[in-house]
Formats: sequence, C-alpha cells, structure tokens
Amino acid sequence: MKKQLFFQSAVVSTLLSYLLIFVGGLVRVSGSGMGCPDWPQCFGRWIPPTNIDQIPSHIDPTSFNIVLAWIEYSNRSLGVIVGLSIIILNVIAIYYFRKELKLLLSAVLSLILVGANGGLGALVVSSVLNPFLVSLHMILALILVSVLSYACIESYKSIHPEKFKDIRANRMLLNCLIIFWILIFIEILLGTGIRTNLELVAIENPLLSKGELLNALDSYKYLHSVLGFSLLFLSIYIYLKLRDYKLYIVRFLGAFTLGMIIVQIFLGEMMIFFELPQLTRLFHTWGSSWLVGIIIILYNCISNEYVK
Amino acid sequence: MNTLNKKLIIAFFSVFILGLIGFFTIHQATQSRISNLPVISKVPEFQLDNFDGTSFTEKKLDNKITVASFIFTQCDGACPIISTNMGILQKRFSESDELQFISITTDPDYDSKSVLKDFSDKYSGKDNWFFLRGNIDDVVTLAEDGLFLSANLLPVGHSTRLVLIDHNRNIRKYYEGTVDANILELQYDIMTIIEQG
Repeated sequence: MKKQLFFQSAVVSTLLSYLLIFVGGLVRVSGSGMGCPDWPQCFGRWIPPTNIDQIPSHIDPTSFNIVLAWIEYSNRSLGVIVGLSIIILNVIAIYYFRKELKLLLSAVLSLILVGANGGLGALVVSSVLNPFLVSLHMILALILVSVLSYACIESYKSIHPEKFKDIRANRMLLNCLIIFWILIFIEILLGTGIRTNLELVAIENPLLSKGELLNALDSYKYLHSVLGFSLLFLSIYIYLKLRDYKLYIVRFLGAFTLGMIIVQIFLGEMMIFFELPQLTRLFHTWGSSWLVGIIIILYNCISNEYVK
Repeated sequence: MNTLNKKLIIAFFSVFILGLIGFFTIHQATQSRISNLPVISKVPEFQLDNFDGTSFTEKKLDNKITVASFIFTQCDGACPIISTNMGILQKRFSESDELQFISITTDPDYDSKSVLKDFSDKYSGKDNWFFLRGNIDDVVTLAEDGLFLSANLLPVGHSTRLVLIDHNRNIRKYYEGTVDANILELQYDIMTIIEQG
C-alpha cells in the first residue's frame, strides 16, 4: 500500500516532467525564452502582465509580448508543479522508505536535480539565452526523467516481485541496453549541439535561410544522422531479443523503442527537407527524451537483482 | 477493452492534443511578433545634411527599414556603445539593401562634416549609414516632436534609444541602444518586418 503510494507519486512526477520537457521545448522553438526578462517573476509580477501599463518603471518594457510572456511563464509554473510533486515523493520516501536506499536515493536525487534545473533556468534568462546554458537546461531535465523512471520501475518491481521472478536476461542484452542508453544520450548531445550552433550562426547571419544555416554547419552534423541510423540497427536487435519475453511491458517497450527510433529518423529527415519546421523540431526533441527514460525502465525490468 | 489498450488510447489522444497545443502556440507566438510592432506615428518632414554634403530628407526613409539614433562625436559614454551596436547590425544585415541607418548629431557646432566623416570611417562599414547634421533647433524638433525622444541639455542630454522605422516612414518601436538584449530584440524585429515585406 505504501509502496503503491510511492509508485503512483513517482509515475505522476515522471509524466509531469515529460510534460515539462515538452513545454520547455515549446519555449525554445517559439522563441519565447526572453518572454519574461526577469526571474522568478515576470516583469516584476507573479502573474504576467496583460497590459504594458502594468510593468513597473524599473523594468525595461521593450521586449514585452504578452503571448511570449505567458509561454515562458507556463514553463516556469509547470516547473514549480513538478517541484511540488517531487517534494511529495520525497516526503513519502523519507517517511516510509528510509531503509530502502534505491527508492530514497532516487527520490532525493530527483529533488536535487529539479532544484538545480530551476536555478539553471534563472541563469538561462540572465544570460539572455546563452545557447550552451539552454542545452544544459534540457540535459539536466533528461537526467531528471532518467532518475524518476528508475524510481517508477524499482517501486513497481517491489510491489509485484512475482512478475519479475522468472525473468532472465543475458549479459549481452543488458550491456546492449547500457550502450544504447549512452549512445542515445550522445545522440541527443549531438542534436543539441546542432541546435546550439544553428542559433549562434543565425544570430551572426540573420538573413540566411534555414537551409543555408544547415549548410553553414561543420560536417559533424552528419555524425548525428549516422549515429541515428546505427541506433536503428541496435534497436532492431533489442526488439528481437525482447520479443520473446513473457512480461507484456517488456515486449511493449521493446517495440516502442524501435518504433520511436524510426519516428525520430523520419522527423529528422523531414527537418532537413522542409527547413526545420518548428513543430517537427519540438517532437523530435521530445520523442528522444522518452527514449532516455524508457531504456532505464527496460533495463531494470529484465535485470532482476531485486528478486531474492 | 483491457486497461492497457485504454491507456494506449489515452496516450495517443494526449500526444495528439499536445501536438495541437504546440501548433496553436507556435502560431500565436509568430503572430504576436507582428502585432507587437504597432505603428506608433509617422516621421514628419525634416531636412538635414549628410557628412558627404548631400541633403537627407524624410523622403529617403521611404521603401527602407531605418534604424535611427542620436549621438555626438565627443561623447564618451553611451555614443560609442550605441554606434558599435549599430555597426554590428549593419554588418549582420550587410547582404540586405532594405536596411539603412541614420545617426543625427546633437552637437552640430563641433561635428562638422569632416568630423562626422571620420566618425563614420570608425564605425560604418558600408554606405547605408548616414551621419546627419543640421540646425540644432531642427534637430531638437525632430527628436522631440517627430520621434518623441527627449532632447534636453544638448549635446549630452540626447536620448540613447534607437528608433525602428519601417518602409512607410512609420515609427514601429524603440530600443535602448546600450543594452545587448534590446539590440537582439531589434534584430528579430527587423527580421519580422523584412519577412512581412
């Protein structure tokens, strides 16, 4: 019962964090990052101004745009909600699971991460959207959902140990999943690198079209595509290996991983041919963030060290 | 229907709705950039002289996007920063012939044509930046009544704001010429006006 509570709280925190990554991506692609030039308030108010007259005199109203302000502020507000949900998770963990190190540590670590990322958000704003800080902000969020996904699957396993009792995985498959996770992370870093450099080039050359911007990048942009295609083969292997598992969630997530890789390659190619449509960029980023958490869950599903 | 299938359908609809929200939000953000540049006022008639001796009137603003500033060459505070920032914008948009820059001196007694020429050589890399001088009363009238900028205790009391003027001689927005975030904002707004045609 108590574990059920922890599990549900972890699932809610995880889903909210994914929603937060989506909204954060929306802030980036819609160019709303400076929607509120101050932090944590927005133009000196806890509720963003709806009218330019509401802006206090000490804040420069030049950049005031009500739509961008609300997009940016919804990211911050959801961040607060995620923070609260993780605080609840920690209360449950500290109250009931002080001796269960896996649950306790994952809860505490996620609280540290969400706090740090909130602080980093302030730096992002005060640096006027330094592209490196913006990317770091997303990377911390990816680590956060990894830790939260771990909390979800570990608590689920301890609620239903019987489901995982007979699961045996060979070392090879487990190693493959570890490598897959690392490569996905590198792939995302390469992707954010491309994004960062596109932004830097675009600031210096505002007249270049999106296609010309892509051409202006170094050849490492191909590395992102090449690694993407190699991940396809790795995910096919993982899918085939997981297909024979009795546990439905393992089979499902194996298929999900393969499907998501295919969707990602499709979205990635679409961006090249159609000059980076914003909505495609948003889902390209968001979809890849799901893979990070899903692989953590898969790995912990089939490595059954929990069962005595 | 078992619970997993139910969850899958919920997941499908959630992603679909998020996609719609994303699409709507991006569209709104794009629209808001345009509506955030309202026409403030039309620049009135004026006549000043460029440093090369040619006359510069309000007609030269037609069919160009113009960034305007007030400076004087002996100023060692804001003017060098403003002029450097305008030079950065001039360089970034050097491929475009839609854009032009004007800097009006608030110290015409000292800033002769040759002084302005030297100042131009220092900051401008292209011939689309005009350094203008004229009768001080005309300059004050243009600043206060035409561009709605303060012009007290000249030359030092000139405004440090940049004015964005569109193809139709309409004032669209003001920017603090010494603040980097404002310059970036100005750059994006210039792009918005260019893209609108």
